[in-house]
Amino acid sequence: MTDALYLLLACSLTFIAMSWLALSLPSHWKQVAEGKPHSSRLKTAGWLTLAASAICCLLVDHPSMAVLVWLMLIAGAAFCVGMLLSYRPLLLRPLVLPPFARH
Amino acid sequence: MEFANTRQAMAWLHTWLGLILGFVLMVCFFFGALSVFDREIDRWAIPDTRFEPQPMPSFDHLLMDVYERMEPDATEYQQMMPLYHDPAAGPMTPRAELPLDEFWAYTTHRDPVLSIGGGFRVPHEKNPEDHNHIHAQTTIDPRSGEFIPDDQLKIGSDWFYPLHYSLNLNWNFIGIYIVGIAAFFMLVALISGIWIHRKIFREFFTFRRQKSTQRSTLDLHNMTGVVALPFHFFFALTGIIIFISFYFMPVSQTLLTPLHDLHEETEALETGLPHERSGVAAPMASIDAMVAEAKRRWAERDMAGEVGFLMVHHVGDENAYVSIYRAGSDRVALVGEGIHFNGVTGAVIREDAPHGFAEAATEFLTGLHLQHFEHWFLRWLYVLGGLLGCACIATGFIFFVEKRRIQHAKAGSQGSRIVDAFAVTTVTGMVIAAAAMLLANRLLPADMAGKGDWEKWIFCGAWALSFLHAVVRGAPVLNARKNPAWQEQCLAIALFAVLAVIANWVTTGDHLVQTLITAPYLAVAGVDLSLLATAVVALLAARRLQRAAQVSPASNSETLKGEVAYD
Repeated sequence: MTDALYLLLACSLTFIAMSWLALSLPSHWKQVAEGKPHSSRLKTAGWLTLAASAICCLLVDHPSMAVLVWLMLIAGAAFCVGMLLSYRPLLLRPLVLPPFARH
Repeated sequence: MEFANTRQAMAWLHTWLGLILGFVLMVCFFFGALSVFDREIDRWAIPDTRFEPQPMPSFDHLLMDVYERMEPDATEYQQMMPLYHDPAAGPMTPRAELPLDEFWAYTTHRDPVLSIGGGFRVPHEKNPEDHNHIHAQTTIDPRSGEFIPDDQLKIGSDWFYPLHYSLNLNWNFIGIYIVGIAAFFMLVALISGIWIHRKIFREFFTFRRQKSTQRSTLDLHNMTGVVALPFHFFFALTGIIIFISFYFMPVSQTLLTPLHDLHEETEALETGLPHERSGVAAPMASIDAMVAEAKRRWAERDMAGEVGFLMVHHVGDENAYVSIYRAGSDRVALVGEGIHFNGVTGAVIREDAPHGFAEAATEFLTGLHLQHFEHWFLRWLYVLGGLLGCACIATGFIFFVEKRRIQHAKAGSQGSRIVDAFAVTTVTGMVIAAAAMLLANRLLPADMAGKGDWEKWIFCGAWALSFLHAVVRGAPVLNARKNPAWQEQCLAIALFAVLAVIANWVTTGDHLVQTLITAPYLAVAGVDLSLLATAVVALLAARRLQRAAQVSPASNSETLKGEVAYD
């Protein structure tokens, strides 16, 4: 049961990480929020969250298996973020946190 | 051919390699994705086998009797017996009386049924140095030891799965070679694709679907290719690695045969596992006791596990030995931790030593492709990877046609129409073939003679019809318009998929409420739900194509700005 929870957490973290990495690109930021993104902060947050998702994967499986789960999760999350940006970009709005906007 | 720069050369390479091999790769990716759940598709197709996965049954109490009843393959007997048997030495032994020389059993954590097989010795052989075996392979219900009729095709593991690596073209293994070449050039296509893609990071998440078909298709092609790049790369690579010994096999079976045979004998000396029968008959010791000892030794090494594969060599001879391998359900690498026993005394002869780095790396790479592990979540992620690969190839085809449609129409060329018809056949036609096969499986009576062959013919027939349909309906492409076959075949997919789910319900009584809630059986529920999801996607695609056809018959032609020339 805890394994399933950790995997769920890994999914969510990977999705959030990929969203932030996408939002660090001004063209995608424009689709979701006004103004300009604080790209370096978004990138750092994205990579750190991605690392956190890797840790979640490692907590569930042997490293050799965890790395496969993690890479495939990144592929799935990136695809989902891409599709959301195309169809329903505003759903990513909750991930636009104040420190990420440049004033 | 002259190119202004490397990039254009790469674009040319990517375009034409992709076009030619894309058709093969599409089959590999799609049926590979289905093969992730091959055992589950088998359960759907053979309702008698819808029960829980079973551990390896007792050899002493059940399997030994089954092996006694097992008979050598009739076709192989007819073909090979005259080659092995020396009429001068004595009469030819009738098929049912050939003595059993070796037998095996194989199961995984997903198998309710058990695969078993064996090799029968040929008395009065021409060349005693040769292997001289007539084989048998069959499936049994491990609870009762009953044989499962071979007429019932395992659609997942005996049709979709081999289709994925051999296209089921078995003449001289030609299909395996074609797939190998396609996999190699897929690596080339990936590298050239990265080379010509200017903005990998800037357009990582980009899908501008409101732009022209050409633009949005290219976006989708890039996205599905790049986000799952590690998957695409490693599955093409590991696919080649799995078959590498096969691609070079002709050497060990032709030029280097003496070396190969000598190596086998040397290895037998080193390992202490007898290479030949002694000729002295001896009764077998308890195999169950050996299984128990093997499990005890694995547990001692802190890797307790079940038996995945067991093979007995030189049955009934003083030189008999039993090799027991562990099922690899708990990790990626495909290693058996083999333990070998003397078949007569039951004593351990040897334990396979842990492998060095190179072997371990290979075991990991082949294991990640063959997925014997128990990890349902990763299995679904693999399906996603496979489908992203399909989307990448399909959008590649569409882009190719979109790019040239108008140009070809002006020049009166048939090029776009032909490529488009092939694209329809590989993209929607393949799904129609698979869905039609599943539907036929539920509609044909279970006890029909040669049922599996009929299913195969329906699969091929449906696919051929989809090609004919795409060609016949392709005339509008000549006027730079879209082929209505795309939309019509999407509707056919939806129809077949829904009918298959209904037919499963009517013929077996296993509807989704039951397989999901009241009497959960997820293998069947998963196939049903996947069929329904396919139907939904196909309907959405058909509706979108319908709308596009209404809005703008031939206006989808804005030119791309700042893009690579793909000609």
